[in-house]
Amino acid sequence: MDLDFYDANLYFGRPTREVYNPARDASELLRRLDGYGVHQALAYHVAERDVSPVAGNAMTSREIAGHDRLWGCWTILPPQTREVVQQGAEFFAQMKQQRIIALRAFPGLHNYLLQRTVFGKWLDEVSERQIPVLLSIEHGVSWPVAYSLLTDYPLLTCVLCDIGIWGVDRYTWPLLEQYPNVYLETSLVALEDGGMEAIVRRYGADRLLFGSGFPDRYPESAILQLLHADITLDDRRRIAGGNLKRLAEQVQY
Amino acid sequence: MHQPNLKEAFYALGRVPDCPVYDLHAHMGSYLGISFPRAEAPDMINAMDRAGVRLLVFCHHHTLHSPDIGNAVNVEAVRSYPDRLRAYCGINPNYPDVIAHDLDAFDQYPDVYVGLKMLADYHAYALTDERYRPAWEFAERRKLLVLIHTWGHSLYDGPEVVRKVAERYPRTTILMGHSCHGEWDKAVALVKDFPNVYFELCAVLDERGVLEKFVGETGSERIVFGTDLPWFNHHYYIGSVLGADINDEDRHNILHRNAERLLVRYL
Repeated sequence: MDLDFYDANLYFGRPTREVYNPARDASELLRRLDGYGVHQALAYHVAERDVSPVAGNAMTSREIAGHDRLWGCWTILPPQTREVVQQGAEFFAQMKQQRIIALRAFPGLHNYLLQRTVFGKWLDEVSERQIPVLLSIEHGVSWPVAYSLLTDYPLLTCVLCDIGIWGVDRYTWPLLEQYPNVYLETSLVALEDGGMEAIVRRYGADRLLFGSGFPDRYPESAILQLLHADITLDDRRRIAGGNLKRLAEQVQY
Repeated sequence: MHQPNLKEAFYALGRVPDCPVYDLHAHMGSYLGISFPRAEAPDMINAMDRAGVRLLVFCHHHTLHSPDIGNAVNVEAVRSYPDRLRAYCGINPNYPDVIAHDLDAFDQYPDVYVGLKMLADYHAYALTDERYRPAWEFAERRKLLVLIHTWGHSLYDGPEVVRKVAERYPRTTILMGHSCHGEWDKAVALVKDFPNVYFELCAVLDERGVLEKFVGETGSERIVFGTDLPWFNHHYYIGSVLGADINDEDRHNILHRNAERLLVRYL
């Protein structure tokens, strides 16, 4: 393959509700990625989503330690409860130390509102530090929530994942147009026929990050679509991994 | 010399000459709920070429949702691309007079139609409703293919409803569009119980494990490939078939052999 795949959207561990043949730990995930042809990944333990961010974040950090092809993301909660988010630089220093390059939020599942009233200046700091925040439309983030968040934090580096299977250009294109740091993860962008090509034509390839959606979806789906998308090889390379590498390098801990 | 398997071949080339793809569930044209980048026939043919799709069988969105447009758009598209397209004659039970007209005219289009398309969830009449009877009986007399939209738990086209029409019309080949999505065990039971019932994979393949279940419980000879094009990308769904824990013989059955067998009288 001509492409160096860096997967922005997958998890390991077994979710509360059974899915088909997940990777139980980071070592198994790496073996699977080798089979798919994916070189590295931004991964999280699904316990962050399904059990508790407090427990899950620690599991992610523990599992990816020592695996230099895996990077982690932690799940945030409102700063007021101090379960995960702590004010001050120490939180970000811990992220750097544990090779956490992005954050996730599941406000619908974790019972809070993802808006300025809750996160105040803390998400301003996340914006300034250019730390990507990943939001899953299939898991706890509705379109009005995403729109509201970006109204409050227009410079946030925000990656919209799992955008839904039935075609959502009418939701995503206004965000791409209005907010320069909004990105789309491709595990379901790739499903819409011609969707990736249309976004590249209109907004450029820099706004897309390859993701597989594993273990919920087959990685071969998004891989085969990108390998043969009707865009330039340079655009395919950026989507496959170049854009995520750039975002990771931009993070200021 | 290493002989590439299907996954390697599709990864390398995007299309594989000895594995042509037959898409038996497609549409065409604009639609209210979505902005399609490639919804017209020329763009769809181009998309088919990129993935090695030999033939696409469709029913135009406008046919299914406007009796004022009807099946004329299907005929026009197929006759523009006679080597690449075939159509299902769209059936809307809200308009029995249109159904009667279209069935009367059906035999004028042997080069266009391979069967009928029913979209009961959207038309809000159960597949067993009297309004559908003329179409079912027409299909039964001619042993046609009937592509039905099916969805789990639906009162219009869920598995219990499909069971009734499969019993009533044993000479009709029933393609379960979306395979009773979500009620996978009941879909499996239907395929086991009725030799005239087939799985169709559109909106099935974006969930890992379901295709493995179908093949594991019923084999791969009663499964046909479909994408809802222009909704879903061929390479995406082909990739899912390549990623599933099944073998290349199963993949050949699903991507082309089963369809070739069903369509032999039309091509």
